[in-house]
Amino acid sequence: MTSSELEFTPSAGLTLGVELELQILNSRDFNLARDAADLINLLEQSGHPGAVKPEITESMVELNSSIHASYGSLVRELETLRDAVAESAERLNLRIAGGGSHPFHDWSDRRIYPTERFQNLLKVYGYLAKQFTIFGQHVHVGCPDGDAAVYLSHMLARYVPHFTALSASSPFQQGADTSYQSSRLNNVSAFPLSGQMPFVQTWGEFTAYFERMRGLGIVESMKDFYWDIRPKPEYGTVEVRVFDTPLTVERAALLAAYVQGLARYLLNERPHAPSRDVYEFYRYNRFQACRYGLKGSLVDAYTEKRSSVQEDILSTLQTIAPHARALGAEAALQELGAGVIEGYSDAGWVRQAYAEVKSLNDVVRLQSELWMGRTKVHA
Amino acid sequence: MPTFLPEFPSSANPLLLFGFLLLAGVIGGEVVRRVLAVPHIVGYVLIGLLLGAGGLGVLDTGLVKEAWTFVELALGLILFELGRRLDITWLKRDAWLAATALLESALTFWLLFLVLTLLEVSPLYAAVAAAIGISTSPAVVLVVAQDLRAEGQVTERALNLAAINSVISFVVVTVLLAGVHHEYEAAWMTVVLHPAYLLLGSTLLGLLASIMAVLLARWLGKSGRAHFVMTLSMIVATIGAAHLFELSVVLALLAFGVLSKNLDRRHDLMPFDPGRLGQMFVVVLFVVSGASLTLAELVAGGTLAVVFIVTRFVAKSLGVMSLTRFSGVRPGAAGMLCLALTPMSALAISMVRGTTELYPEFGTKLAAIVLSAVLILELLGPIAVDFALRRAGEAAAEEKPAP
Repeated sequence: MTSSELEFTPSAGLTLGVELELQILNSRDFNLARDAADLINLLEQSGHPGAVKPEITESMVELNSSIHASYGSLVRELETLRDAVAESAERLNLRIAGGGSHPFHDWSDRRIYPTERFQNLLKVYGYLAKQFTIFGQHVHVGCPDGDAAVYLSHMLARYVPHFTALSASSPFQQGADTSYQSSRLNNVSAFPLSGQMPFVQTWGEFTAYFERMRGLGIVESMKDFYWDIRPKPEYGTVEVRVFDTPLTVERAALLAAYVQGLARYLLNERPHAPSRDVYEFYRYNRFQACRYGLKGSLVDAYTEKRSSVQEDILSTLQTIAPHARALGAEAALQELGAGVIEGYSDAGWVRQAYAEVKSLNDVVRLQSELWMGRTKVHA
Repeated sequence: MPTFLPEFPSSANPLLLFGFLLLAGVIGGEVVRRVLAVPHIVGYVLIGLLLGAGGLGVLDTGLVKEAWTFVELALGLILFELGRRLDITWLKRDAWLAATALLESALTFWLLFLVLTLLEVSPLYAAVAAAIGISTSPAVVLVVAQDLRAEGQVTERALNLAAINSVISFVVVTVLLAGVHHEYEAAWMTVVLHPAYLLLGSTLLGLLASIMAVLLARWLGKSGRAHFVMTLSMIVATIGAAHLFELSVVLALLAFGVLSKNLDRRHDLMPFDPGRLGQMFVVVLFVVSGASLTLAELVAGGTLAVVFIVTRFVAKSLGVMSLTRFSGVRPGAAGMLCLALTPMSALAISMVRGTTELYPEFGTKLAAIVLSAVLILELLGPIAVDFALRRAGEAAAEEKPAP
């Protein structure tokens, strides 16, 4: 990475982009398949919006949306992209599913995607690289400059438990119920460069920090930081990376709308200055959301009051409602809020499915039918 | 002599025979693999050849006949598994795959028929031999794929093409039986009704078995263990029933597999993985197939066998190369797919045996044409599949980071 890549490319305020990591399945027993290269190759021949890219193992594929000003066009594009991926997958006798973890695959069966970068990750991280076959959603939100990106990164940190609880969809791993709503983040935590951005206040300070880490040979590029939230200078965005991939693209778009609404509220109103206290409670709050989802408890750093993640989301939705309206995402956030009130989570959906069909193979089949748009259920 | 002591020589003892075949296969397979670095099953076949009538004569024709029950059991397991991999919804979504299957089967039949008749093989023999040549050994493709833990488009497509061409091959051979009956001046009732009985009866048996398996699965609930034992018992019972009614084990078990997958709309039946149990039967399958062949057949077949193999490979490759690209698989996959379709094995032997049981004279002449080719492909086929799946990048390679 050259220094010019650390220059913050300003983007039109509050634009949105989504990346979705998805599970590639065989249609026989719904275990993970290894056909990423063929699927990507076939999709290249079909015209589709956005982009489709490989991820660390051959059982994963990443969908990228293009840049959107609002929720409406984002959800439409994701649906079109979803249909294209579903159709190509079926031609190869594959299935695609959302969800933050595959419920029963064996990590040692996974194969690293044959690119230099991914092979190098295997060399550096050993088995963690294969265990990284977990599936997340990243939401990019555009920032006018680097200082704003640093501010927004710190401010969004307080809402990480919201993002986790709203997207939680990884209750099963390696054939067992983990008891977590989102077990996926535990896999991320194993990496030495995971966690949070240091408490820098300006883009200048951030650049100095990065140069120091690079000078010491700890990182080579921004990609080496697996932070929950990180600025992405070449896109001119802040990237929120804590989401499990939801079970549907519709829900992925709702989550993106929530980040956009929050970002508008935070950048326009600047309600607080960044606080170290947020990071004091950060890991506790994040754990609570991973473990218990909406029912987890959350300690607010600014008021030092404890509430449930569910209550905190509902009050936040009220606070940002005017901003959602301004962004044309009012109905979307109402839909998200209605789910929060009834306690809906994708993790709950997965557990419910298992209780009904009593076989994890069938659970994944239902997950794939849901993602591919073959059944209509809760967004 | 006290009467409780055994009398020698005793007659064949099925358990001793089974254990002996397994042991010989495992040891032989390992020796061959260590010395020649080829897939295990090549070793099993070589051990079979060595022990068989053409070799040391330990496994004479009588014992091979006894042991053929194990072969049918192993073949039944494999055909059931293969049938379950044949996904009819996939063929609807990728019509090019279905077209590839039909084209390569048709080309194989007609080219083989043409070349054999040009070599002055009489038309009926040429037709039956060509029909047998349509089939790719499902056992070899499946076993090599499992050994390599291969997964991907070449593996899946090879298995589906093998399933389809095996069905087509079996149906064509059975229809041609009419001609064989006619040749031997059987009553017209037999000429017409025997093929019909075999085809319809075997399919119906497969259908009944699949309906019963699905209903039992529903009643048992989602228990992996219970489903495993139930499915296994249904497979064994179906093989037995096919014998009882003089039907075809091959078609009945393929139908059982295909229908139990494709008619199970509620997904009641859990995935069936014979695992290590299946591997045990695979050893016996290949040792006995090897033992049923002799090097004398190779000499008898001679150039005809080589012509048969080359023609068959060219025909299958023409079919696969001309249509596979439309399926949207990556470039280079088609070539590997051609190689993966070369094996012939127990299925072909079993079809030759089927005619031998009806008309020994016909069977012997047919064997001279087909079995020499089968013998060569028993040895080369697994190597070809192994190479193709590795080269296609679909084998589970050992990729371990340095400690």
